[in-house]
Amino acid sequence: MTDLTTNFAGIELRNPVLLASGTCGYGEELAPFLDLARLGGIVTKTITPQPRVGNAPPRIVETAAGMLNSIGLQNPGLDGFVQDKWPYLARLQTEIIVNIAAPTADLHRDMSARLEDVEGIAAIEVNISSPNMKDGGMLFGCSPTASREVIAAVRSATRRPVIAKLTPNVTDIVAIAHAVVDGGADGISMINTLLGMAVDWRSRKPVLGNVTGGLSGPAIKPVALALLWKVRQAVDVPIMGMGGIATAEDALEFLVAGATAVQVGTSTFVEPGAAANIVAGIESHCDNAGIARVEELVGTLRV
Amino acid sequence: MRQALPVVADVGARVSSTTQVADAFFQTRLQVRDVSVEPGQFVQLRPRCLEGTYPYLRIPLSVSAVDTERGLVDVLYEVVGPKTSALRHVCVGDEVGFLGPLGNRFPEPASDATPILVGGGIGVPPLIYFGTTLRTAERWDPILVVGARNAGKHLPDTLLEPASADVRRATDDGSLGQAGLVTNLLTEALEAGSAAPVVYTCGPHAMMAAVARLCAGRDVPCFASLEEYMACGFGVCVGCVVERADKESQPSPYGHYARVCVDGPIFDARQIAW
Repeated sequence: MTDLTTNFAGIELRNPVLLASGTCGYGEELAPFLDLARLGGIVTKTITPQPRVGNAPPRIVETAAGMLNSIGLQNPGLDGFVQDKWPYLARLQTEIIVNIAAPTADLHRDMSARLEDVEGIAAIEVNISSPNMKDGGMLFGCSPTASREVIAAVRSATRRPVIAKLTPNVTDIVAIAHAVVDGGADGISMINTLLGMAVDWRSRKPVLGNVTGGLSGPAIKPVALALLWKVRQAVDVPIMGMGGIATAEDALEFLVAGATAVQVGTSTFVEPGAAANIVAGIESHCDNAGIARVEELVGTLRV
Repeated sequence: MRQALPVVADVGARVSSTTQVADAFFQTRLQVRDVSVEPGQFVQLRPRCLEGTYPYLRIPLSVSAVDTERGLVDVLYEVVGPKTSALRHVCVGDEVGFLGPLGNRFPEPASDATPILVGGGIGVPPLIYFGTTLRTAERWDPILVVGARNAGKHLPDTLLEPASADVRRATDDGSLGQAGLVTNLLTEALEAGSAAPVVYTCGPHAMMAAVARLCAGRDVPCFASLEEYMACGFGVCVGCVVERADKESQPSPYGHYARVCVDGPIFDARQIAW
């Protein structure tokens, strides 16, 4: 049996498969479909300092091999999360990474400080990459300076591992990766969604209420792999790879390209038990290939 | 009224038949073990032949008939794109991914009420299942009012009869039933003075909005089955939201939006900002 345990920035994961932020809520809705304890972990839907109602509908549209979303970080806010969502998450026998976003670096620091009091959080993932947030998210993640400031603010307020989630919508993702590592990030998650748009030519209107949204699903896998490989060569911190992972083989490709762990996102919408099936698939593929420890695969791309 | 809903499952269903029932409307009968579906609930289907990467998302469809004993679930749909086209062509005996049942159900009317079911176009199927269960209970005689663009967009009598002994039809072009909008037929039904009318509606958004307005003006209870672009169908993506009318009085973690997939698809029409 292949050893699937994975150390990601000091976090001991049962296996390298996590649920991606924004695609698993706060865990509860998925419980009927898979044993969450079989996963490496869960990354919560982004929480913001105050509750957010999200963007006007339509928020979803299907596109070639994927979908656009413009949910707009609808969430119950930090207090709502701690009171209503955390008690359920705290009972789960899997690692919980809390994803945060805020309009300023100071507010990121305040949120992180508040979360220090919440027992059991494995790490903080900082969403500096949402394309659906007009007062933060990708605004930070497109600038090396702003990315560094936000990550440094979080770093100063927490002892937990800090993971910076990067946007692919930049000219030079390596510069952003260096900046977040300079700011104190212990790890990187990549990639968030690609900015996209769908048009209804008859009505001459955008399909999404928010005009643009984020593209996810199998369509973006090659983009994610290429950017991951570039960043892998540039920085030393571990990387969570994501972008269109739907099968165990997809996940293994990310590991070979340099991801220490992977996150499963949009495919959960299509197949709610996808992440658990991917864990099982990784195990059987590795067994068949005679791989003793899954970590042996990480970054083994031969170029 | 809250009723316990059946447990959701992600299973395989076998196609037992697919028939063309009107213009581009098809009925697919699925054989699925140990799944029950309440009237108004929906399912997310995925023909196995679509298990590549495009189209990627499932097909959300309402259920038009259920035979629990024989394990049969019928879906009625219009072929509008690659996914419904694929479903139509799944061979008898082949498997379709079946995620469901999803969402809430139509609330049962009071025992002395007259249920009036108002459907438009391909919004009729969930009303067929609901009407059938009402008639089977032998406590109600639902009136079924159906509107469509033309005769070809109407479902045949054989499909509607189990739901109502009193089917009234309208078409925009007058090619079948009364010429004009379905709301005219609803007005007539309400003015005929049925005892304690309660309206259940499913169809295009503009039609349901008109039905909701009409009912609100006459103080008639109205429940609408909503549709939105949907990804997951079980609440996590928060994509299929509708705006609530009662947003001030209903503070909720999801603010003034409600998720069609789990908070609905059936809503009290007064809750919706039409």
